[in-house]
Amino acid sequence: MEWSVVEGAGRYTVRVSDSDGHLKVSSMQFDGSSVNPPDISISRADQRGQLKVEVSGASHLTHVAKVGDDWWIHMNGRTYVVRMHEPGSSEAESVQGGMSAPMPGTILEILVKQGQRVREGQTLLVMEAMKMEHRIQAPRAGEVTKLHYSVGDRVDMGATLVEIGD
Amino acid sequence: MATGPFDSAPRPFSRVMVANRGEIAVRILKAAREAGLGSVAVFSDADAGSLHVEVADEAIHIPGESLAETYLNSEALISAALSSGADAIHPGYGFLSERSDFAVAVAEAGLVWIGPPANAISTMGDKISARVRMIESGVQVIPGEELTVPDGVDHLGALATCAARVGYPLLLKASAGGGGKGMRAVSEPKLLRTEYEAASREASAAFGDGTIYVEHLLTGVRHVEVQVLADSQGNCIHLNERDCSLQRRHQKVLEEAPSPAVEHELRQAMGAAAVKAAQAVGYEGAGTVEFLLSSNGDFYFLEMNTRLQVEHPVTEMTTGIDLVLKQFEVAAGLPLGITQDDVGISGHAIEARVYAEDAARGFLPCVGKISMWKVPQGPGIRVDSGFRQGDTVTIDFDPMLAKLIVHAPTRRAALRRLDTALSDFIALGVTTNIDFLRDVAAHHTFASGSVTTDFLDSSDVSTLSMPEADPTVLVAVASAAQRLGLERTPSTGDPDSSDEHTGHSGDPFRTLTRSFP
Repeated sequence: MEWSVVEGAGRYTVRVSDSDGHLKVSSMQFDGSSVNPPDISISRADQRGQLKVEVSGASHLTHVAKVGDDWWIHMNGRTYVVRMHEPGSSEAESVQGGMSAPMPGTILEILVKQGQRVREGQTLLVMEAMKMEHRIQAPRAGEVTKLHYSVGDRVDMGATLVEIGD
Repeated sequence: MATGPFDSAPRPFSRVMVANRGEIAVRILKAAREAGLGSVAVFSDADAGSLHVEVADEAIHIPGESLAETYLNSEALISAALSSGADAIHPGYGFLSERSDFAVAVAEAGLVWIGPPANAISTMGDKISARVRMIESGVQVIPGEELTVPDGVDHLGALATCAARVGYPLLLKASAGGGGKGMRAVSEPKLLRTEYEAASREASAAFGDGTIYVEHLLTGVRHVEVQVLADSQGNCIHLNERDCSLQRRHQKVLEEAPSPAVEHELRQAMGAAAVKAAQAVGYEGAGTVEFLLSSNGDFYFLEMNTRLQVEHPVTEMTTGIDLVLKQFEVAAGLPLGITQDDVGISGHAIEARVYAEDAARGFLPCVGKISMWKVPQGPGIRVDSGFRQGDTVTIDFDPMLAKLIVHAPTRRAALRRLDTALSDFIALGVTTNIDFLRDVAAHHTFASGSVTTDFLDSSDVSTLSMPEADPTVLVAVASAAQRLGLERTPSTGDPDSSDEHTGHSGDPFRTLTRSFP
């Protein structure tokens, strides 16, 4: 199993060993190179969805929940998401240049044409969702290779709206 | 038959229907029960399993999915009240709460309207007539111009002329607007067209009225609003101010009482102006007069909200006055029973609005199922929410999950309590702004009490955030959780919870970063 903490920023692999219900990290790699996590020991806590996490001697009651491939972790008063990946699987397509709808809504305005060069941060289209307008901006400079929708179309969350090539 | 609290009141009622949903419906339904009144909830198809349905004595289904068919359907709401034997309607906030025609229809159906008189709603609801009335009453308004453009006339041309007279930067506002919708700042003339079109589209979509007016944009100001209470016998008092200067795109983020910028004398002056504003429209019940406060102590009327505010709890915590109960009493025709001298300030209260939104992605609203939900508890902590563990956050409604309100003897203590309470607020399965709220509340500009309304919009949000946790620790925790088989989190609500284990249909996180062909 591989793990990522920040989308697209690299994968971790980890081996844990179980000594009497206390899980410890025996080895960890980040994108193939060894990394050294702090001294850590993890065990079940009293309630479901809770873990006792000891990091370098300090103990933290941690709450976890799994949704899809994501482990949601609440630790030290903050919430994090760690995603599980099949070993060797590729990153999401959206990272490779497709602009996807951040939420379901309606296309209000399309400000670019197919074939047009755009600069990073340029507004490509305007969506209406949750009664507010959202401007969808180019993640990087490039040429608009495909527009998937027209003004007035309803789109689902995650739908690819625009594709940008080099 | 049991006797109700208002049986012998001038306008008696004994069973309240709340024409709303979510946390505010829960708040009002509980207040009704506490007051010894019957309570009736209404719900759309999407809300069949929602919390507000559970806390009411009776719940009436209003079939339909769209707001127009349900929570904005005055006819269906009034017949639901009549069929359930309710004899009063509380509109909550949003939806029909500031629609004078609804107030009129409720009264015509022989029901008690728990809200201000219809003409007070319509005068204050139209920003232009409100401005005119305030100028007539001697309440200072923001420099600007009313722009009335008859249908068919070139709006943009007239607008450009008017904008040039008011001067840039300026603010375009929908006359029927509110809550940040239909409001756009314009820094220079060449942006006027785009912003006007966006504002007028948002306004028509949200309020069915695209009329706009132009106001000079005041910068470096605070948003300070005054809670007023008036009865039908001519008594009108104020319950001090709330400071809502911490805003993002005109949406309030943190609200507090008292304002760190308001001293006794200014409080009296603002309170007197608020009372004057309320009296100018013959107000009854609970209302809020919003002002912009400049650094030299000048304050300008912004608008009056003729309803209960989202942030009303901070006033309740610091004055000890239950605003919803007061609304009931005033609607029943009873006198306020308290005078201005009875209103004090006890300690400091701060409200944080917990939203399902992603601060790291431009505050986009997020959806999903709340797999784990544990709200903070303890002395001086109040959580108003319409959500429970297992509930699903959808795009159908406003993404506010909860209001966390803390109360402590001093502002410093309240800030510490807020930080602790936010760190104990566990919401897993849907992205929330809780971490962002912690960062903002801890920021020295907010902590020192010197935030103005442009603070968040002019700050780089990423610079506010605190250091992330060690990713190797997080990976260790996730892999340990997996190894220990902790997938099966406690989940109430939907008994068919197979979705969260398989991650198939209904699980939006499968699609967050993946694209469809």
